[in-house]
Amino acid sequence: MEFFERFAVPHPSPAIYASMVAIGLTVIAIIAGLTYFKKWGYLWREWLTTVDHKRIAIMYLISALLMLFRGGADAILMRAQLAVPDNKMLDAQHYNEIFTTHGVVMIMFMAMPFVFAFMNYLIPLQIGARDVAFPRLNAISFWLFFAGAMLFNISFVVGGSPDAGWTSYFPLAGNDFSTSVGTNYYMIALQISGLGTLMTGINMITTIFKMRAPGMTLMKMPMFTWSSLIANVIIVFAFPVLTVALAMGTMDRLFGTNFFTTSNGGMDMLWANLFWVWGHPEVYILILPAFGLYSEIIATFSGRNLYGYKSMVASMVLISLLSFLVWTHHFFTMGQGALTNSIFSITTMAIAVPTGVKIFNWLFTLWKGKIRFTVPMLYSLGFIPLFTVGGVTGVMLAMSAADYQYHNTMFLVAHFHNTIIPGVVFAMLAGFTYYWPKMFGFMLNEKIGKWTFWMLTVGFVLAFFPMYISGLDGQARRMYTYSEAAGFSMLNMLSFVGAAVMAFGFVLIVYNIYYSVRYSPRNIGANPWNARSLEWATHTPVPEYNFAITPNVASSEALRDVKNGHDLFPGKYEKIHMPNNSGLPFIMGVIFFVWGFSFVFAMWIPLIIATIGIFACMGYRSAEKDHGRYISVKEIEDTETKLRGA
Amino acid sequence: MSELFPRKQVMGFVFSLVLTAIALSVYFLDMSFTTGMIILLVTAFIQAGLQLVVFMHAGESKDKGVIYTNVYYALIIALVTIFGTLLILLWDM
Amino acid sequence: MKIDNSLPLEYSTDQNQLNILGFWIFLGAEIMLFGTLFASYFTLVDRTGAGPAGAEIFEITPVLIETLLLLTSSFTIGLAVHAMRLANKKATMAFIGITLLLGLAFLGVEIYEFVHYVHIGAGLQTSAFTAILLTTLGTHGAHVTFGLFWGTFILLQIKKRGLTPETGNKSFIFSLYWHFLDVVWIFIFSFVYLKGMM
Repeated sequence: MEFFERFAVPHPSPAIYASMVAIGLTVIAIIAGLTYFKKWGYLWREWLTTVDHKRIAIMYLISALLMLFRGGADAILMRAQLAVPDNKMLDAQHYNEIFTTHGVVMIMFMAMPFVFAFMNYLIPLQIGARDVAFPRLNAISFWLFFAGAMLFNISFVVGGSPDAGWTSYFPLAGNDFSTSVGTNYYMIALQISGLGTLMTGINMITTIFKMRAPGMTLMKMPMFTWSSLIANVIIVFAFPVLTVALAMGTMDRLFGTNFFTTSNGGMDMLWANLFWVWGHPEVYILILPAFGLYSEIIATFSGRNLYGYKSMVASMVLISLLSFLVWTHHFFTMGQGALTNSIFSITTMAIAVPTGVKIFNWLFTLWKGKIRFTVPMLYSLGFIPLFTVGGVTGVMLAMSAADYQYHNTMFLVAHFHNTIIPGVVFAMLAGFTYYWPKMFGFMLNEKIGKWTFWMLTVGFVLAFFPMYISGLDGQARRMYTYSEAAGFSMLNMLSFVGAAVMAFGFVLIVYNIYYSVRYSPRNIGANPWNARSLEWATHTPVPEYNFAITPNVASSEALRDVKNGHDLFPGKYEKIHMPNNSGLPFIMGVIFFVWGFSFVFAMWIPLIIATIGIFACMGYRSAEKDHGRYISVKEIEDTETKLRGA
Repeated sequence: MSELFPRKQVMGFVFSLVLTAIALSVYFLDMSFTTGMIILLVTAFIQAGLQLVVFMHAGESKDKGVIYTNVYYALIIALVTIFGTLLILLWDM
Repeated sequence: MKIDNSLPLEYSTDQNQLNILGFWIFLGAEIMLFGTLFASYFTLVDRTGAGPAGAEIFEITPVLIETLLLLTSSFTIGLAVHAMRLANKKATMAFIGITLLLGLAFLGVEIYEFVHYVHIGAGLQTSAFTAILLTTLGTHGAHVTFGLFWGTFILLQIKKRGLTPETGNKSFIFSLYWHFLDVVWIFIFSFVYLKGMM
């Protein structure tokens, strides 16, 4: 019996039971729907087995949106719990689980796939390639991410969620204090999706270095591709650190080792150290592609070339290096000496310099531009001042002596949300609106979009600015309640109202998609925003081979050059080599899920079987003869005529 | 290319054995910690460079710029991580 | 698939060049992986708890044998690539085979070493030091084990299909992997064993 007890949720509540029922019903509804509409074959052929970077991007996008709502539900629950003092809606354990899953889901399973969605979709289009360097590996990356995300999310209904914070500090995350399997889920799910992330990093770097169209030198790449290159470089060097830390944490929890314990020589601080060696670069992995998207959008809607292209690139290269030199600022109060704290204070403040350079570049791009206030542009214009506030409070936190006051207060929570929401989330929504027509062939409704923007912005300011004050007044983060005498009541109520307004904003996005699917006109042409870079030079929707003729690029504003008489597509059609679809990545994802689940519950026999399964897949792949296929000139002509006619 | 005798590889192998022998001196001879560490650092990094250039052909394709940048970048960040960690957790704790 | 005969076999197609560059970038990630293990090792090396310290358990003989085996295998896989470039299928296969045998011998000695450590009371759970020691060595050992399977697969494919752009590419990438493991071992040899016994 004891064996099965581990699968039960340790702290059940009506909400969790209701979710179990909801999850069950959703799964049944999906299966029934697919069967009723006879879509299983379509799903398998067109999506589950695809290696097309554009489809993988869309799957990342859907996952990211789903996870946004999953993490958003956690956020609303937290704000509701803290809205009034001495609230008994959630108990301490539930609150711990909710802030943990909120952090992990939002960073790892919302922001990361959102970024990957754009990288996958845009990099090959922006450099004029047919696909990424390793299409099959790309599919494996996605399915590993997806397996990790699903594994993490079932913790909620099978065995209990992790409860040691998204940073999962030891000894709190050790067996003594985190008694459920929740933290095992954390360790294993992040390990699996981290593996996928690392592979994406390798894939994208190789793609960018080796597959650029003729004429596109590194300094003629569109800015989003540059920012992705830098982000992927950081991925490749940061994620192995997480791999090692997670492996050691897993061993501590399951094999009784003493890496991070407080006995037999273990050092709990080593976890914090390793976590942030990965964790700080991680925030730049998220923000740099966001900067890239803003650069594209601001240039388009100002009707000007991006100001200071070279300084933009230089600042990102500098950030990629500096991002590995600042990690101690996450634990200034851990007890290391003044020398260390001073060094890391200075490196942290130094990062503000290249970031400031970028802000000025965007401002100078706007300067004398013909600005069009579209939805993507509104997000970008909202981002500049809001992100600057987030950055400046970051410099406040960077001063190690002052940090003793801010550490682990709501001030910090306000700061990082102030960088991540206007920085990353706004960028993703801006990019989402901006590239939606390229992905799906119609525009999202501008009017609803503008409402969404204002709700999110007002909601954001209401939700997070009060936390700066309550934090400075001493409200600690991660506390499930506070007394009325503390005087935080008003500020927290404001935050809750802000969070509710934001929630409405996110619901509006869904409504906008529904509305636009039904009513948006479909005859928008290839370049509805009048944009300037290469990805808009192909048809909408994009054919599977991206460009019928490999483009010959003259500058980073390739489409702009066409208007000035440049021949972007010289030559005639030739047959095009494309990779074949494969079910193997999906199957590997499923096996990895089983592997992870067995590992979480220390079921060694299924674990060994799954491990053998993984290696069998790799062996099969190694022996497989797959040289891809060719699209004939005839097919290309047909497709091109059809798309041009439409 | 068409050279039959693998001169480069044989020399690399002999050289790596010599470096190993030099490194072993820290075990068999009596010396201070500092001297020993210097010997180990020098021999290990030369040995690594040797493998990189002689055996791994790092510099022979047209991607050598990317390859060397990648390796040096990884090396720098790895060293920063190692020494930063030691600074934080041992030397300045 | 376009084959460019002016280049060595392993570089002869576009996909081959992509594979090689991609693998180099993967090796960059591996440098960080082992760098992190070393960072953890140096942090925990003196935290022996109630267990033994490195100087008490390290023995020079097995370590020297392991080092020589791995150095030699690195040499032989280099010879395999050399033979491959001369389009000598037999020699290529022979040298890869020797490499794998040397790797297997290395693994045998390492397993002996592990059993010995556990036997004298330096198991995985003993202390932070023994845990990080066995994890660092074990990660390297796991890489070697993986390499043995991988190499065997490539050997079978060369036997079946001959030296094609594909198998040549795979062999070359395998050689990169194997040399890299040798480099990691050099650092383990120098900074785990020799430093520990100094």
